[in-house]
Order: sequence, then C-alpha cells, then structure tokens
Amino acid sequence: MIKGTIKTINELLSTKQLSCVELTQQYLDAIARHNDTLNAYVKVTPELALSSAKKIDEKIAAGIPLGPLAGVPMTLKDNISTKGIETTCCSKMLENYVPIYDATVWELLQNQGAVLLGKTNMDEFAMGSTCETSYFGGAKNPHNTGCVAGGSSGGGASAVGGNLAAFALGSDTGGSIRQPASFCGVVGFKPTYGSVSRYGLIAFASSFDQIGPITTTVEDAAMVFDAISLKDAHDSTSQGCDPTVPYLGDSLKGRTVGVIKEYFEGIGDDINDAVHKAIQVYRSLGAEVKEFSMPEIHYGLPVYYILACAEASSNLGRYDGIRYGYKVPHYNDINEMICRTRSEGFGEEVKHRILLGTYVLSAGYYDAFYKKAQSVRGKIVASFEEIFRSCDFIVAPTVPMTAFESGHKQQSATENYLTDICTVPVNIAGLPAISVPCGFDKGGMPIGLQIIGQRFDEATVLNAAYQYEAMTRENAFKVVEMGVRP
Amino acid sequence: MNYEIVCGLETHVELSTKTKIFCGCTTEFGGEQNTHCCPVCIGLPGTLPILNKQVVEFAVKAGLATHCEIAPISKMDRKNYCYPDLPKAYQISQFDMPLCKNGYVKLDNGRKIRINHIHIEEDAGKLVHQKGGTYVDYNRGGVPLIEIVSEPDIRSIEEAREYMEKLQSIMRYIGVSDCRMQEGSVRSDVNISLRPMGSEEYGTRTEIKNMNSYTFMERAMRYEIERQSDLLDSGKKVEQETLRYIVEEDRTESMRGKEDANDYRYFREPDLVTISVDKETVERLAAELPELPDAKMERYVSEIGLSETDAALLTKYRRIAEYFEAASDGVQNKKTVANCIIGQVFRRVETEAEKEAFAISIPPEYLRDLVLLLESGKIKNNLMKSTLEKMLDEGKPYTAFISESDMGGIDEETLKKLCSESIANSPNAVADYLGGKEKALKSLLGYVMKNSRGKADAKEAEACLKALIQENA
Amino acid sequence: MKVTNQDVLQMARLSKLYIDESELDELTEAMSQIISFADTINAAASDNCDFDNINQLSNVLREDTVIPSYPREEILSNAESQDDGYFLVKKRS
Repeated sequence: MIKGTIKTINELLSTKQLSCVELTQQYLDAIARHNDTLNAYVKVTPELALSSAKKIDEKIAAGIPLGPLAGVPMTLKDNISTKGIETTCCSKMLENYVPIYDATVWELLQNQGAVLLGKTNMDEFAMGSTCETSYFGGAKNPHNTGCVAGGSSGGGASAVGGNLAAFALGSDTGGSIRQPASFCGVVGFKPTYGSVSRYGLIAFASSFDQIGPITTTVEDAAMVFDAISLKDAHDSTSQGCDPTVPYLGDSLKGRTVGVIKEYFEGIGDDINDAVHKAIQVYRSLGAEVKEFSMPEIHYGLPVYYILACAEASSNLGRYDGIRYGYKVPHYNDINEMICRTRSEGFGEEVKHRILLGTYVLSAGYYDAFYKKAQSVRGKIVASFEEIFRSCDFIVAPTVPMTAFESGHKQQSATENYLTDICTVPVNIAGLPAISVPCGFDKGGMPIGLQIIGQRFDEATVLNAAYQYEAMTRENAFKVVEMGVRP
Repeated sequence: MNYEIVCGLETHVELSTKTKIFCGCTTEFGGEQNTHCCPVCIGLPGTLPILNKQVVEFAVKAGLATHCEIAPISKMDRKNYCYPDLPKAYQISQFDMPLCKNGYVKLDNGRKIRINHIHIEEDAGKLVHQKGGTYVDYNRGGVPLIEIVSEPDIRSIEEAREYMEKLQSIMRYIGVSDCRMQEGSVRSDVNISLRPMGSEEYGTRTEIKNMNSYTFMERAMRYEIERQSDLLDSGKKVEQETLRYIVEEDRTESMRGKEDANDYRYFREPDLVTISVDKETVERLAAELPELPDAKMERYVSEIGLSETDAALLTKYRRIAEYFEAASDGVQNKKTVANCIIGQVFRRVETEAEKEAFAISIPPEYLRDLVLLLESGKIKNNLMKSTLEKMLDEGKPYTAFISESDMGGIDEETLKKLCSESIANSPNAVADYLGGKEKALKSLLGYVMKNSRGKADAKEAEACLKALIQENA
Repeated sequence: MKVTNQDVLQMARLSKLYIDESELDELTEAMSQIISFADTINAAASDNCDFDNINQLSNVLREDTVIPSYPREEILSNAESQDDGYFLVKKRS
C-alpha cells in the first residue's frame, strides 16, 4: 500500500486504526507547519473540516457503509464555488466574494463525505503557468521551495505534492492541472470536455475549462474522477462518463501507443529521455508503438490564446463592482466606477488577456483572428480523430521543461506561454489527458509523462497511466519529506 | 419634394413562459425588486444557462404563425456590451442563425410586410435613477423575448401601426405572449428613411429606439419624417444614428456616444448547445396552432356569410372568436349568434381590454340554447333579445326567464283581436299614422307585444295593424 | 500585424479598463508581440470553417417549471452597496 493515498485512508478509517477527526487534525497541523513555506492554501477551513470529520466518525461508529471518498481530507482550487466559503480566484476582484451556492463537483464530494481542508492557490482567474499571478503570491514547489509549483492549479499540486491534502480538484483550461502536477511530481488528470460539470467553476474560457483531480496515484485519480463525472442538469455541456476504476489493470497487450513527433520539438534533453524511456515501458507491456506527424500542433498555442482570451474577455465582463466583488471607494459616475473597479481589481496578466480577447473579437479583426482560429481548432480536432483511428492512446511530454525558479523574468510577452505548448492541443480538442510522474531531471525536479485519449475514453487513459505507474513507481516518483502520509 | 417613407420594425415581444429563459425563476410581472432572482439570472461567477424548452417552442409557433421557415439547426450567441442592467455584460441572443426566417404579415390592403427573421434572447434588468443613485433590479433580467425583424417594407405610419397591431393579435392568438404594452412586453425599434417618390434606392436611415405605445410611435414617426424631409429639402444629409423619442417635448434626440461603443463582439455562446428543431416537432407545433385571425375572418365571411366588418369584430380577440364559435355550434343560422354578440353582448364589454378578456356572465352554451329555441320557432326574435338581456344581467340560462307557456306563437285570430284593441284604444296614434307619422305605429305595436307577452311576431303584428288601419280608414 | 496605441485604447474602452498613459507604449508593444504570434495561424487557417462547437450536443433543454428564487438577502449579500432591496451605485467622491 502506498502511504497517503485514498485507498490507505479508507483502510485506516474502516479498520478504526485512526479516526477521521485525528486524520483531519494531522492534515490541519501539517498545513499550519508548512503552508507558510508552500503557500498552497489561500484559505484553510479547520472548523468545517473537523465537523465533517466528526460526522464521518459517527457514521463509522454506527456501522453505516461509506463510499471511497468519505472522510478523505482534500482541497478545492479557489475558482470552485463553495457556499459560505470565500472563492476568490486569487484575485483582488473577488477577495471578499462568498458564493451563495455550491459548485456541482463540491456538492457531489460533500454528499460522499469528503473533508474540505481549504481552498488552494492559483494564478489569478487561472491565467498563468506559474501560480505567480495569484493576488496572494505564488505557491511553491514541494520538491524545491525556491521553484514555482506551476499553474494555474499550483496550490493544489503543491498541497498534494507536499502531503497537505490527500487529493485536490483543479481546473485545466490549457494545461492548468497537468502542468503543475508535472512540476510537483504528482498525478494530474484533465477529463474530456463535458465529463465533469463546470457549474460553479468560475469561468476562464468556457469551451476549454474542465475540472479534474490532482492526486498521489493514478488509482486515486480514477476514484475521484468516477465520483465527479456525472451528467449535471445545471451544465448543458456536461455528459458524465462511465466509471473507470473497473478498467484499471486491463492488459495493454496488442494496444497501440501513438507518438506524435511534433510534441518532442524543442523539449529539454532530460525530458526527452524520460518520455522515450516511458515509451519503452509500453513496449515491454506488450503495446505496439506507432509514430505520427501532426503539423497543426505548431498552431496550438496561437489558436489557444486567441480563443481562450476571446472567451475570457466576455466571461470577465461581469465584474463591474455592482453585484459582488471589489468596488472602488470613490467615483463620480457609474461608468467611472466600473472602469476603475476593473482596472484596480484585475492584475496585469488578466487585463492583458481581456484586451487581447477584445481585440480578436472586435469588428475589424474577428475574421482575421477569431474565425481563423476556430477553423484551425477544427483542423486540430480532425487531426486527433484521424490519429486515433490507428492508435489507442498517445504519449507525450507534459511540459517541455521542469519547474523553474520563482520570480523568473520572462524575456517576451509570449515566452511563458511556451510552457503550455504540449498541454493546449488537448484542450483545443476537448480530449482527456493525464500527467503522471516519469522521473527527474538532473536537478532532481520531477518530469511528467502525458497520456492522451479519445473523447470520453478516460478509462483507456487512466489504465495506460496506471500500468505505467505500476512498472515505474519506485524510480519515477519521490516522496517529499513533509506533511502527512497516513 | 414628395418622399416615400421606407420603414422597418424590430419588435421585441416578451414570451409568456412561466419561467425565465435560462433559469427556473418566475417571469411574473411585479414582485418586490430582486425577489425573482437566482445565481444564474444575476450572473454570479460560475453559473451556467440552461435553455427553456418552452421558449424554443413559443418562438417556433411565432415563426409558423407569421409564415416563417423554421431553421432545423440554430444556436445562441453572446452579444457583448457592458451596462449595469446586463448582469453578465453580455446578452445571450442569436446573431447569424436565428430560429425563424423569411416570413410575412399581410396587411388589410393586401400588402405583405416581410419578416427577415425571428430570434430568441434574454431581457435585461431594470435601472431606477432616484435619490442621486442608480438602483438596480434584476427581476426582469433573463425574461425570454423574441425579436421580430421586418424588412423595410412599411410605407406609412398607418401601415406601421397596423403591422404592430397584427403582430400583437397573432402573438396573443397563438398564446405565446400577452403583449401588454403598458408592462413593456411589446416594444419596437423603428428604422425609418425617406426617398423621392419613384426612387428605388434607399435613403439613409435612423433608428428610433424602444417605442412601447402606438400613440408615441406614431408621433415619433411623424416627427422624424418631418425632420428628415426638412433636411433633404434643404439639401442636407440625414445622418445614420440611433434616436430616442422624448415624449414631453415630442421630438427625437440622438443617443450619440452609445453608438461608437457598440462593437458587440458576437461569438457563439459556448455554455449552450446547438438547437435542432426536427420536422416532427414543427408539425406537432403547427398542429397546436389555433386558426389565425386572417384565416378565421375569411371563413366567417365565406362560410357564415358575415360582413367583413362583423367578421373583423369577432376575430380581433381570440376569446371572442372562441365564444362565438362555441355559441354557434349546431346553430343553423350562425349570423343570429353574431348579431347577438355584436349587438348585445358587446355593449357590456366596452374597452379593448374588456373585449380581450371577454369575461361574459353567461357561458356560450346558454346563448346557443337561446338561439336554438328561436330556430325551433318556439319564441320570436324580440323575446329572444329581451331574454338575452336578462340572462346577461343575472348570468342565468333562458329557462330562468321563459316558461313553457311563453313559448309558441299566437294564432292569427288572437293577433287580429289584439291589433283591433290597440287601434280602438289609441285613436290619436292612428290619426298620427294616417297623417304620415310612421313612428306612431310603434306605440300601437307596443300594446300588441305587451299583451301577447312577447309571443307575437313583431313583423306579423305590424303588417296586421297596417291592414286593419287601412280597412277602417 | 501592428497594433497601435489607438487600437489598445479602443480595446480598453470596450473592456471598461483604464490604461495609464505611462504604460501605453509598453502595453501596445506587448500586444503587438502577442498579436504577431497569434497571426501565425494564418498559415494553417482555411476559409471553409465547419468547426462550430467542441461539445457536439444538441437540444439540452429545461422544462418550463418554476423553481423558487433565492431569498433577496442572499442575492444582495455580496453587493458592496444596497438600498431598499436594490443593488445600488451612488456617486461617492
């Protein structure tokens, strides 16, 4: 048994080796000790956590059968709405915003008895790849606290990597679950667009956003995914997904692994080596490896930035200071109030993306940018479909680099977008993809292996990751000596 | 110079669904401010819209009733603009793939006003400027609307009014809207331009926003036509702009400033899915449509033989037509029923609102039974009329006022006897009549009717009286 | 593709953002870089864009059944300013 996993926690609780209150208290203590260093949590909810834990203990004492997530201490990214608990998107704009309703995923987790420890750090409105655009400062990497945790779900990855939560929910618009998971040496899973309800997830780019788990193991990711992948009447685009846990362990003999050569252009040597070793592992598991070329990958980043910023510029129009959120104290008229509220409430990166999104949608430029980007999006969707006619899943690096030092100053406006180059194509096509630890670079920082599947074929993706993990866990994964590992 | 008016209307009609277009909040009018609200319709972060099925069906019905094609595939778009009454800073609307296209409304003069398209969208909230502040109420936010966009086919103020009236009548008939103007549930933006008579080219147009009364629309149009023709006559140009009509001063005013900020940055609403309306659905909704006023009127004239005026009166509101049809069910001469309604019942529903509601004290079956009694020959016309008045007064069937003994006419001998008595009792009236006063006969007739307890046929009695007077003279 | 200061100011107007005069040139330069980068899609774009929606679903519809609205205190609970049940924006200088 791997320590600190959902399965271990289930075992400890059901055999009464540990009460849920004790377990929860251990996590809260660990957060108190390490959060100053990691800055993973922007809000800790000890009272709620302990009262939920107490209820679980009562149920255990009464012999009421519990689901796999009951009593498991976890955390939510701070863009997932929690009734009565601040949900800030790590923006000054929403610093004091308290939702009056629960996101569907949180409702589902509450019903299953999950114990919320708090809300985790993120890039402001999920716009960033380092977590450093957070109004509350960036989360740090548990493998080297001088490095970034990645982003935007940096807090969740840092919390799970630093053993300050058994699992986290993040959101992934262009890599925001997989990239920090890769940086922090944990598992990060972005489901198919439509598998998990977005209701209550504060929107960044509505046709890209998807909620998913950040966990210690692939099995945990599958368990959490199965618990949240239900069709939701509050989200027209949600369809739910069949359970995946039953497929973990299916043989990969005779399955085909796709390798798209464009994913390997310009990636670091250590990463290249690690991913190619992973491909060998699949060969050893009896899978066939097939090479593909997909030149459209080169257009992934511009397509993503055009479309995601366009949607963001619209989604972020509502922050006008009237109904919720920050409002400037002094103004002469409504228009001035709105403009100053937005100018002061949003950070630089967010404002840049709003301006860019407005530009590509505006009258003179819609055809040149938005419409063209849609057409290339269509091509990327079609290319993936074509490739999946002759393979079962694709393996690729998650990020072309490992976690870098905090405060790294980018050379150009587009440089830090490059960290997303391997993750955005999946969001463009709405596909499921996972990042699973696959070794370390020379500096000892974790490397992630990305496994991509067809729409709603999360079972294949999770199983492929599960099989790889089973073969490599000892070498590819390193436990960070902090936090709680029950 | 003589100009031709070229005018097109964009008419917003509020749909009478129970709930808002994207959430389950009630659409009921009135209600304390911000009490018909939820996270979705105040645009809380993270909320998502779910389209109300009834909105789609009502809009399709509106399209079918105005001879539109129904798009098998359509979608919703975001129209982005920032204004405090719009909680998401975008209105969910339809831009380039509306639900209904290419229809028309036919005017009484036979001209067809073409409809370019009908699309669905959400209403905004309400701003109240008072006490030096802006007060915002989102009860109306998210109430479903259809926007009916006409082609510039309207050529006069009268046609504009008739087109609006026809639209309202159709929407009410098919039950998709109450079209209450005072509650703002119908409002039109009027696009208007002038061109020299005989010219084929369009002039520069202006748009008068938000006209929600016929009177104001007519006045605003009249003002705007005069303003434009003055400009053109003096060789100046009409500027393309958006105008508001200022009621108190009876003039239009430019809404400049709003204009150049209007870059709506439309794009497909990613939170909603494709709308597809299949053939079966269109057929089902078409079958649910009642007969429309135009068709009804035609049928009343050709099959029942009503005059166009009477047919128009009976078809103007759906409830009147339904009442008429129920009351004339099984009646031989349906004109009799029409006359009863127009001649007698209408006197009790004077205002348009009362006519529309048509809350009559007796159900149509009571009227039908009374007319059937007439047709069976058991009572005469005048007894029917007086009985109907009593029925309407008291809300009771004719059996409350007419007994068996009142039924059946009177024989010729009795009639002759009553007529002779009448003549004998009123020599003055006879003299007057003989002196040329036709009216004098009425008093003689009154005696006969009264003493036959209404059973005498008025025409027969009159003939009998005349004959007797001539004999005696 | 060159983005001008005027473009940036117009986008700011539409987005309801103020831009500090001192930042304008730098912002325009950054926007230019991003836009040039975005412009690279031209090589791959085709005119016949049949791609429409990532979710490929149709007719997810709700029945027209009333669900009780939220209590007004909750609706107004995050407003910085309210009066008499309204959200309020009142001039304050």
